[in-house]
Amino acid sequence: MEKARISSIQLFLLLSGFLFGSTVILAPAQGAKNDAWLAILLGGTGGALLMGIYAAIASLNPSKTLVDILKEKMGKVIGNMFAVLYIWYFIHLASLVFRNFGEFICTVTFPETPMVVVIGLFAVILVYAINSGIEVIGRLSELLVPVIPLVVLIISLSLITVHDFTAFLPILENGMTPVLNAAFSFITFPFGETVAFLMLFPHLNKKEKLKKVVFVSAAVSTLLGIILFFRDIFVLGSDLMARSTFIPHLTSLLIPGLNVEPLVDINLLIGGGVKISVCIYAAAKALSQIAGIGDYRKLTGAISTFCVVLSIWVYENVLEMFNWAEKVWLYYSIPFQIVVPLLLLLLSLRKKSKPSNARTES
Amino acid sequence: MIIVLAVFAILILYDLQRFIRKKERARVFALYIFFMAVSLTVSLLLAAGRRPSGPSQWIEAVLKMIGVLK
Repeated sequence: MEKARISSIQLFLLLSGFLFGSTVILAPAQGAKNDAWLAILLGGTGGALLMGIYAAIASLNPSKTLVDILKEKMGKVIGNMFAVLYIWYFIHLASLVFRNFGEFICTVTFPETPMVVVIGLFAVILVYAINSGIEVIGRLSELLVPVIPLVVLIISLSLITVHDFTAFLPILENGMTPVLNAAFSFITFPFGETVAFLMLFPHLNKKEKLKKVVFVSAAVSTLLGIILFFRDIFVLGSDLMARSTFIPHLTSLLIPGLNVEPLVDINLLIGGGVKISVCIYAAAKALSQIAGIGDYRKLTGAISTFCVVLSIWVYENVLEMFNWAEKVWLYYSIPFQIVVPLLLLLLSLRKKSKPSNARTES
Repeated sequence: MIIVLAVFAILILYDLQRFIRKKERARVFALYIFFMAVSLTVSLLLAAGRRPSGPSQWIEAVLKMIGVLK
């Protein structure tokens, strides 16, 4: 295995950047309208538990990647089959984030530029980062991810004069069902997507800090999600919020006498960049492990090219993108994010308890 | 169409000469050619304005078929 090591703070920032990812422009849990804060809170708790499962799998199988664990627990043939499905999932996820990024930039910032040019240029930079290794991505996140909460803070404070602090009332006007639905979709996007980190966890230098890092990053991103929601609803109101496409961008336009629009672009560049880098790294590494290729870097160029093409191919327009993310993504991700990891956790626990049982019997 | 072909030609020539110089194994070539061939085919179809049905539609169709989605 590659000898690269990342510190717990780097992993924390990578996880946080990944969780902010496209959520900085897409405002998750929107289905719950006024009660989205409750959905984010519930979803964040569920997401933290789900990430705890991933951390537990990694702790029970130290120094092993997702591919190694799948092969060990399910056998070579079935394990490889699941690993191929995961590679597809990581590639698909990377291309969806590429598309989110492309749609946002081409709708808001560069309306005259073809989307493939925007996505392609972004991909070139990311391939350079991925080929530099996980340590470089970690250091890069150490440098850039702290900018995200700073930008959120700047925009939130600038809007303090145009707030309506009662906009989120009444609470639970439509009952608990929309809140629970939105909470569940908030678990799958973005928390469940951190399953890609099962390819990165073996690189952590202090394994005992893994669970703490995972829970702190889940808590921080939940808190940031709640702050973002309250800022947006206080400024826009629930009606306008339900009708707009890129909510945080619209909010940033309302600052009197100041144009901070590019700050939202920067947030997406950082969050989306971290998310895509992690996904392509995970896919390339998993593929190199299955094919028995020593260095994952040989495949990053081809995988990234495929991701760029897939991001253009995957949806016809922005409405299809939102519709798919809202209705299909949730069910499509359940096997990858919940079913298989739970199975792996059970198999890991069973394997762990077996030797001790044998010892007591003897 | 020509731009797509030119971009892919540059990418493939750059990577393949590197692979040949380092005497990479056949499986590296196979995987590389698979990804690039799929990407090139889809890109040419998209450039020609003949968008093939995408993976998102396949996934949606599968989920509808097994009754998860209505």
